[in-house]
Amino acid sequence: MTGPTLTTRVAKQLRVVRASLPPARGLLPLILLLGIWQLVQSGPSPYFPAPSQWWTATGNLLNREHLVAAFGATTLTFLKGLALAIVFGTLLGVLIGVSKLAARALDPVLEFMRAIPPPVTVPVAALLIGYNGIMKLTVIVLAALWPILLNTTSAVRQIDPLLIDVARSFRLSTTERIRRIILPAVVPALLIGIRIAIPLAIVITLLVEMLTSLPGVGAIMIRSQRNFQSSEVYALLVLVGLFGFVVNDLFAVIEGVIMRRWPPRR
Amino acid sequence: MRELERLLARINWLGLGTIALAFALWEISLRAGFAQYQNLPTPSAIAIGLVEIMSNGQLLADTSHTLLSVLVGWLAAVAIGVVLGLMLGASPMLRRYSLASIEVLRPMPGIAFAPVALLLFGFSLQMELMVIILPALWPVLIATMGAVMGVHARLFEVGRTFRLSRGEILRKIMLPAALPGVLVGARLSMTLALVLAVVAEMVGNPAGLGYAVVREQQAMRPELVFAYVAAIGALGMILNAALTGAVNLLFPAASGRLREVGA
Amino acid sequence: MTADGLGGSTEAEAGLVFSCRGASVELPHQHGARHVLDDISLELRRGEILTIVGPSGTGKTTLLRLLGGLTPATRGAVRVNGALIDGPPAGVIIVFQDYSHALLQWRTVGRNVAFGLEGRLPRGEIEERVRDALRLVRLEAHSDDYPWQLSGGMQQRVQIARALALRPAVLLMDEPFAALDAMTKATLQDELLQVREQTGSSVVFVTHDIEEAVYLGDRVAVITGVPGRIKRTVTVDLPKPREQLVTRQLPKFLELRYLLHQAIGHGGHA
Repeated sequence: MTGPTLTTRVAKQLRVVRASLPPARGLLPLILLLGIWQLVQSGPSPYFPAPSQWWTATGNLLNREHLVAAFGATTLTFLKGLALAIVFGTLLGVLIGVSKLAARALDPVLEFMRAIPPPVTVPVAALLIGYNGIMKLTVIVLAALWPILLNTTSAVRQIDPLLIDVARSFRLSTTERIRRIILPAVVPALLIGIRIAIPLAIVITLLVEMLTSLPGVGAIMIRSQRNFQSSEVYALLVLVGLFGFVVNDLFAVIEGVIMRRWPPRR
Repeated sequence: MRELERLLARINWLGLGTIALAFALWEISLRAGFAQYQNLPTPSAIAIGLVEIMSNGQLLADTSHTLLSVLVGWLAAVAIGVVLGLMLGASPMLRRYSLASIEVLRPMPGIAFAPVALLLFGFSLQMELMVIILPALWPVLIATMGAVMGVHARLFEVGRTFRLSRGEILRKIMLPAALPGVLVGARLSMTLALVLAVVAEMVGNPAGLGYAVVREQQAMRPELVFAYVAAIGALGMILNAALTGAVNLLFPAASGRLREVGA
Repeated sequence: MTADGLGGSTEAEAGLVFSCRGASVELPHQHGARHVLDDISLELRRGEILTIVGPSGTGKTTLLRLLGGLTPATRGAVRVNGALIDGPPAGVIIVFQDYSHALLQWRTVGRNVAFGLEGRLPRGEIEERVRDALRLVRLEAHSDDYPWQLSGGMQQRVQIARALALRPAVLLMDEPFAALDAMTKATLQDELLQVREQTGSSVVFVTHDIEEAVYLGDRVAVITGVPGRIKRTVTVDLPKPREQLVTRQLPKFLELRYLLHQAIGHGGHA
């Protein structure tokens, strides 16, 4: 296929995302906050250790707790859960969007399940499945499923009926119809659903790790807190925040690369 | 008679039927021994459990704690979010000097604040509030800021041609025009506040519905675990309905516009 | 209901409400300033309707905003009743084209019309003025409706009523009927003429519709070019009261129409 290569497209999207970030001087409040903190409290403290201490604590964590491995474990679980949620969410979403029967039948069940906040499913899953990787994955999938499913369903329902007629006049089979008309129509909404699901999945992953001490960053966070290692706690807060920021931006790049073919939004 | 017919026609029989069927299957398969899930209780056991915690006052105690936490946290988040959102929405300069910080702080998973909150406040209501307020203020702030920025320039020109003072323009034009957006943000924040309260209770403060779920799970009383889960879901729905009702009551004009737009 | 005036200088005594001398407007733009209006000189006499007509992009709206005090003059002077304006002058109200954005959609019609009077008059008098204004535009029955419940033409009438409630000396109207269908437009044109008869307000009416300009105006100013300049001003000596069918067929009407088309640059003449 002619046209810009994948690398060029990714590079372009990186530039687009970087351009769309707000001006860097907006970081001033944060920098001021950290600066003043450092001045007021330049050493360790049980409650408000200095930012410089966070830096040293990170070093400790890297060595003692194998922080990198922990982040790796967390990321891997999060990605697995997200992937499964995308698969199930898309399938179910398309099904419910296409079939009014399925919609009517499953609607109340889905509404009910939607009302349950995802964190609450963790103890339930622990009860039913135990403290293992499967439980962790199940909970993440359940949490990330809803935005993807809902967005997919509404996108399918909003497909221009004209396109369905086009499919029929070209006598496309059901699989072809799904592949050529439904899925492409669904992709933009799906990407939005994924964008919403990502923070949810991250939160649930961390939550499970905190509650169950299964390997990951969450477990380390709780451990540091229980040991009253305040600098480590703050350091982890910053690191997790950066993690969230980076994941979201990476996805923005991916989204931009995929959406190149669609008319620009807004 | 006609009214009854119409009412009956509106009920989703197929959906209800599916639920009823699912519950029936659940009950039967466990009782008859088809499925053997060690810790999965039957729906009837859950119902009995619900009655138990309702009659011994436990449910009330736990619910009131969580409710208090959610309401206080949400109100604080709304107050802070609205004030900051108004300031940022009205001043391009303020925006330039703070948007980047917000973009960095916003993706922080609320749960990451739990260990810090535990460190600072131990097991207490304040710990929960810290976990709730920080993340829950973002939707309000962003929605308010967007709403203020979205007020049509024409409205301000109307204020000027009628020679209104700046205070009047703020009070009579900007605030009412931004209100629907603010309310949407407040509603999002409420849902978030409940989730955050429950998380804070699960991971930290041993009180309230979140803790109850973990407590009963560790006490190996699965029927109560499910009962509390249902209670949390119900609380969420009630809070949402109450908020919508309150909005309709207090701001009939705004909710009219919200309904018109389909929000 | 008569219009309030402000006392003043010889110009005011001479019956000139607005006087604009050599005004230019430059607006900030991406690469420096954009020269929108150049050397505008015009006058508005008490009680007259001055229509300003010209193609799009010539700065008609900017001219109205200049008179309304929303945009300052880069050069030259704009005076209301002899006094230099500095911001929106008292007794002058702008009626905008996009009524749905100009009305406060969260207030009822009645409260919209009361908008400019709040805090400035006792409540009883406000209510009376609101009723009078709504009666002038024939919307008394809709005082408790919300703007979004009304049609476009009705919303525009609400905006006009809101302006009239202040009993302004001058109404500045920015293509107010452009967004409406032909029949509603005709109805509102006649309503405007009636309102002027009953209130004695002076009106500056901006439009791109030449026929509307001739039909409504006592005088018509043609604005053309970039930057916009007043090409010529014509007095409309058609009989009053104007009537949609009769007036528009008069030879004088057609003559004026032809003249204006020419001035704007249609018809192939210099």
